Amino acid sequence: MSTKQRVIKINKSVKFLILCTLLFNINNLSSAEGGPCKDYGDCDKFKYALNDMESLQSGASTFLNYCYGCHSLQYSRWGRIAKDLQIPEDIFFENLVFDKSIKAGDLMTGAMPEDDSAQWFGVAPPDLTLVSRVRGDDWLYSYLRTYYEDSSKQYGVNNLVYPGTAMPNVLAALQGNQKLVCKNIPIIAKNGGEKRDSEGIALTKEKCGFLQVEEGTGSLNKEEFDKVIYDLTNFLVYVGEPSKATRERIGWYVIFYFLIFTALSALLYREYHKDYH
Amino acid sequence: MNGVVGKMFGWFNSRLPIANTFERHLSKHPVPSKVNFWYLFGALASVVLIIQIISGIWLIMPYSNTEEQAFSSIEYIMRDVDYGWVIRYMHTTGASMFFAVVYLHMFRGLLYGSYQKPKELVWVFGCAIYLAMMAEGFLGYVLPYGQMSYWGAQVIISLFGAIPYIGESLELWVRGDYYISGITVSRFFALHVVALPLVLIALVFLHLIALHEVGAGNPEGVDIEEHLDEDGVPLDSVPFFPYKVLNALVGIGVFMTVFAIIMFFFPEGGGYFIEMANFEKANPLVTPEHIAPVWYYSPYYAMLRAVPDKLGGLIVMGSAVAILFVVPWLDNSKAASIRYKGVYSKVALALFGISFLTLGYLGTVGVTEVRKTMSIICTFIYFAFFILMPVYTKFEKTKKVPERL
Repeated sequence: MSTKQRVIKINKSVKFLILCTLLFNINNLSSAEGGPCKDYGDCDKFKYALNDMESLQSGASTFLNYCYGCHSLQYSRWGRIAKDLQIPEDIFFENLVFDKSIKAGDLMTGAMPEDDSAQWFGVAPPDLTLVSRVRGDDWLYSYLRTYYEDSSKQYGVNNLVYPGTAMPNVLAALQGNQKLVCKNIPIIAKNGGEKRDSEGIALTKEKCGFLQVEEGTGSLNKEEFDKVIYDLTNFLVYVGEPSKATRERIGWYVIFYFLIFTALSALLYREYHKDYH
Repeated sequence: MNGVVGKMFGWFNSRLPIANTFERHLSKHPVPSKVNFWYLFGALASVVLIIQIISGIWLIMPYSNTEEQAFSSIEYIMRDVDYGWVIRYMHTTGASMFFAVVYLHMFRGLLYGSYQKPKELVWVFGCAIYLAMMAEGFLGYVLPYGQMSYWGAQVIISLFGAIPYIGESLELWVRGDYYISGITVSRFFALHVVALPLVLIALVFLHLIALHEVGAGNPEGVDIEEHLDEDGVPLDSVPFFPYKVLNALVGIGVFMTVFAIIMFFFPEGGGYFIEMANFEKANPLVTPEHIAPVWYYSPYYAMLRAVPDKLGGLIVMGSAVAILFVVPWLDNSKAASIRYKGVYSKVALALFGISFLTLGYLGTVGVTEVRKTMSIICTFIYFAFFILMPVYTKFEKTKKVPERL
């Protein structure tokens, strides 16, 4: 390849890069639309850990104790969860399955008749097998932590992420009473620092809409409660796609295989290419 | 070849053109000796076609085409069928990758004039493949019977209703019911797994036969048939096997690596390959907040929305695909390749590419006034590229195409 050709080639890749950047920027415009977490603003980031068995087991336990009364996991089977979460079947059925007629191969079709629940809550509690895939992990993790007291609602609570949600705050006993409060926050000056008056005292303004838990009303502190929700969300991510951990593990082998395949075929191609160049 | 095997081969070969066909289409088929990566996407498209057919066959086995079970049978595949998730993600990733490579393949055609005389039919069959793929993809998207399957189908089928006089009856005939139901799912299933694959395979066959008749192109737009050796083989060619095959193999390796990265790590493609709303079972009573087609239809969806009138939108959308078929007769240029075409062609193709990508983006997001205006402008550019082609290719100054590759 002559130098001139090389320059042309480089020029082309530069153009391609510019085009990519442009496209990427256009794409970024979409984030200007209202966030999926509604009044909460941006959702809190959730990073799943599907190999953390302790977390998944704790999440399963929270789910079966607090959620399964109303929500089914109709595409998931009891035995599969015990197996995937490495819980010995006898311990699993002894401690987490309350209906003793259930067998390992049964689907987790829920405990509450749909017609009754629709009457009680106005809407039947949805099946949650795929909720993490419909709503996204971040949404779920944020939603479960953003309940606040609102006496105008049927169950006395509302939610920042899902305003007007029909679900009562089932985990309130753990979290405590969370309220929306107003706070005085420092005013940020144009230069990025805090704005101060002539005597050097920071200026503040009142801003509302902050979540705050009334101290001593819940059995867990904030970190402990966040961990419970983390584990629960992690479990729901697992249930949404039970083979996800396997998928990501096998994926590396497949990619490795194709890289070797590419390298070998490239070497072979180069050998044959010499025939006509 | 001697012995029993040789005799058997001879017996078959005198009754079936095995050796002839093999030589003509594989071992001795001459291909241009100098091509670039743009010439790989055809081979990649056939690889994806094979992936789709094989994974599709295995998906049919556990899938249930009834209103009650369609959605849950997909979850059954994802959970209870051994490696069902591999097969399903292969098929969903394959659908997106099929369109990705076909779009690149088609762009290659525009870039290097792969439709010019005598390759008109190759191009026309290719366009027919693209059209069949669009239908195939749409039908397949309805089968999991999620929210987006349902509402996407609702939007597309209702387009038939915009046709004057026969519209409403046509809509009913396509759906097979007064609303989208199990009947629709089951007929779409039949079309998706039998009718359209047959059409696709037949068209691919014709596409290849026509291509082998007139010979493959090259990025220089040089007619390699002009300079032949004493055996009548083009001087600037190499036999398809092993040279082209090995070349394609490298491309396939790279492509499959990308395929595997998506399939094993980003199967939903950020909601563009599998839309999040489609993890919810179809519910005729609840319309999703934002109905968007999968990414590969989104440029046309943006055009549809750019036109305020439904019938008008349908005509624009249909024409956008239809106009592709006549490209061979719109290009008056003496040069085939963009390398030797004039500046008008270069600007036109660049604007066309940008407007198509922009339309693609606009089709996936909600409508605002600005976006609507952008859609209208891009739709105009899309059509202007084709409609003005006879003019700008005729009056521009082209460079002299070299004799040899």
